[in-house]
Amino acid sequence: MNHIHLQIPAHADYMDIVRLSLYGIATHIGFSFEEIDDMKVAVTEACTNAVLHANTSKETGTIDISFALEDGSLGILVKDNGPGFNYRQALDEAKPLNAAETSDLRTGGMGLFLIQALMDEVDIRTNNGTEVSMKKYITVKSPLYVD
Amino acid sequence: MKIVNFLINQEETSTEYHIYLKGELDLSVAPQLRSVLEPLVNKMDKTLVLNLKDLRYIDSTGIGIIISILKIRDELKAPFVVREIPKSIQRLFDLTGISDFLTEGTET
Repeated sequence: MNHIHLQIPAHADYMDIVRLSLYGIATHIGFSFEEIDDMKVAVTEACTNAVLHANTSKETGTIDISFALEDGSLGILVKDNGPGFNYRQALDEAKPLNAAETSDLRTGGMGLFLIQALMDEVDIRTNNGTEVSMKKYITVKSPLYVD
Repeated sequence: MKIVNFLINQEETSTEYHIYLKGELDLSVAPQLRSVLEPLVNKMDKTLVLNLKDLRYIDSTGIGIIISILKIRDELKAPFVVREIPKSIQRLFDLTGISDFLTEGTET
């Protein structure tokens, strides 16, 4: 297994760099554009949570992103060193909108739902920060990919 | 220093406030979008139109903003339309369930 590591300041301005890196890596191992779009959203959601919850002091923290390139899949680990929040509970409660009326719609809590919906495997650990571990399998090899 | 990869264009017609979103909408540009929407979202005299034709990326942050517009407009009984939703974004709207609440306008 090969790894590629990226560390960014825990600030929203750097999240597009994570998406660009992901695009390069996922293209390299043969993911289709649709699968890459799914992963872009999932990895950005994990970074968004890290940005919103990782910064405690005035000092900006960092986010570590690690890509594990395997034959037929890509593992992505997003790790921050903030205090985090109750992910286990949030993960259990993550769901799509199911309100009957517009006035009942929730505006938050959708990020974790999207991570779960768009990735094949998701695991979240909180221990000196939060680690969101995700994996996606290549289902359709891009027609542009040559073995 | 950062290359701008999100743009908002505004247009006003006799019946509509038109907002075109272009590029990538994530947490980094959410304040920018909120500040453009703020003076318009309470205006009841015209339809508020969000055109997503050139939007290449959205996630829960952007969807959350659209939900808050929906709620405000619904309460005011003021018209709000989302136009020209790209396929990849429509997928996320369907997945999250927001599609059921959107009025999708066709380009006139």
